[in-house]
Amino acid sequence: MNNLALKANSITKYFHDPVTMQVLKNIDVSIDKGEFVSIVGKSGCGKSTLLYVLSTMDTDYEGTLEINGITTTGKSLNDLARIRNESIGFVFQFHYLLPDFSCLKNVMIPALRLGKLSHKEIEEKAYEKLKMFGVEEQALKKAGKLSGGQQQRVAIARALVNDPAIIMGDEPTGNLDSKNTNIVFDMFRQLSKEFGQTIIAVTHDEDFAKRSDRIIEMADGEIISAKK
Amino acid sequence: MKISVNTEIALTYLTSRKKQTVVASLGVMFGISMFIFMQSLMKGTNDYFEKMSFTNTPHIKLYNENKVADNHMLRSFFKDESEKILINPKQLSKSQGLTNPFGMVDQIRRLAEVSAVTPQVTGNVIYTSGSVELPGNVAGVQIEQEDKMFDVKGNMISGNLLDLNRIHNSILIGKGIADKLSLHVGDNITVRSGSGNLLIMRIVGIFATTIKQVDETKSYANIAQVQGLLGKDRSYVTEIKVNLINYNNAPAVARQIETITGYKAEDWVKANEQLKAGFKVRAVILNSVIGVILLVAGFGIYNILNMTIYEKIKEIAILKAQGFSGGAVTSIFLQQAVYIGIMGGIVGIVFGFSLTLLVSKIYIGAGTLKYLPMSFYIPHYLQALSFGVITTIAAGYFPARKASKVDPVTIIRG
Repeated sequence: MNNLALKANSITKYFHDPVTMQVLKNIDVSIDKGEFVSIVGKSGCGKSTLLYVLSTMDTDYEGTLEINGITTTGKSLNDLARIRNESIGFVFQFHYLLPDFSCLKNVMIPALRLGKLSHKEIEEKAYEKLKMFGVEEQALKKAGKLSGGQQQRVAIARALVNDPAIIMGDEPTGNLDSKNTNIVFDMFRQLSKEFGQTIIAVTHDEDFAKRSDRIIEMADGEIISAKK
Repeated sequence: MKISVNTEIALTYLTSRKKQTVVASLGVMFGISMFIFMQSLMKGTNDYFEKMSFTNTPHIKLYNENKVADNHMLRSFFKDESEKILINPKQLSKSQGLTNPFGMVDQIRRLAEVSAVTPQVTGNVIYTSGSVELPGNVAGVQIEQEDKMFDVKGNMISGNLLDLNRIHNSILIGKGIADKLSLHVGDNITVRSGSGNLLIMRIVGIFATTIKQVDETKSYANIAQVQGLLGKDRSYVTEIKVNLINYNNAPAVARQIETITGYKAEDWVKANEQLKAGFKVRAVILNSVIGVILLVAGFGIYNILNMTIYEKIKEIAILKAQGFSGGAVTSIFLQQAVYIGIMGGIVGIVFGFSLTLLVSKIYIGAGTLKYLPMSFYIPHYLQALSFGVITTIAAGYFPARKASKVDPVTIIRG
């Protein structure tokens, strides 16, 4: 059985604006299922760019990308949207909740989009996820009314609602204090250990990185170390 | 009913920004209610004028056109190959009447389209009462048929038109004649024809149309009496009036009647060309006004959705990151436009109907036109709704497509 969650072959990417510049240089990376990986590096080293290529949102690259054994390179935008919906959850530095909706609804939306469960089942599941992060009290409040830490926890709950194979975070704890950072880290840890979900997080937080399974360090568009 | 997640998001966006939604729907509402109001006014007015024109014009009028002498008699006399030329032809001094009128009436009555046919004798006369003389014309008619065609009864202000059949030598006169000669129902009036015949007639009714000129000259009498007054025999008929089930078919039926009878048949469209021209001009004015209103409403929606998209661009990016395809995003924003259109449309229909109803109560009081003529025509309402929805879809499509093309990476990375 193929045990790879994600496999990237010689990924190369250029930025063309303002001047053409190579941001990713022949990157080969493979990540096992259930692995908790941190990507670190200085600002501008290309780590976020790599994450967005791996996330299938950025399609402007050379090389090939496989997710769960399926080659995503060259697939249509609609197919990619479907793959993201089903297999990838996102956590961003800024929460990006939809402020007009209740927290519960925010968590439910990706699952409603997927449409595999009934409305009631989705609601229960979303509530359960909110509970995991201790924000079930806020479930019916508008997302815009919560504190930053609470919003980020709701955002993580949202990323998990479809039980995605891979969870990607772009500075997931970048805006949180140490207490909330610890809660989030422990949650990620638990997800990878107990549920076999793959975590890929770009971070500046050295402490966070050290506690993960593997650190991929990047500089100038290349991976300089990827020790297990 | 299970509503899709796209619909749910679209509705939430609409309800979380109530003011903008209301303003956008108000634009559509005004467009649609104006559309309904103006269409109703125009149709009402057009119908009124058409009806008015049918109060003294039949759908088709068959008459004997004055002819200039031609060479057909010469040809039937000299049955050879030579070319016959008539030098200095003159108007034929033939009788103004139609030949075999009652036969033609029967023939015409048999046509499927025809709803009423009536022969008529028209003569120029001079009305006299005391020492006052008044020129005019008397129509010799079969009054029941005439009433069926032109609703003479509706124009009667005093007397009874059916007395025309019951009382010998009776006459119905226009209100203008009655006023000028100071006559009332029951009085006598002297009617003198161009040929010098004189008849003293009993006034059994007075009518008023909206047309002053008609009221001051026209009178109705029994066809036989007018024939006698003009010194003609019982088969003398100057014109045959024909009404149809659907007056829009008049031109075609007129051609058919011309072929059957050989006489000139004039349809109401030809007789009222200026009326039709008026309808057309009004339609152009109306449609351009409505077009502008809907265009403005459309721009309003376009603007509001564009603003929404700028405001929500991060949310659109996040939806796309979570697996919403471009089509789903288009659907979310297009649905907002459609809901604005439907809301504005429904309110617009109610408002347009109320406005039409209100205006139809405005008293005008000119002639027989008592109130503003407004029509309540259901297709107008359906048209208005579909125009409203089409406009909003067109206005919503471009912003929605723009939203679907948002690149999540550029937006999320900033």
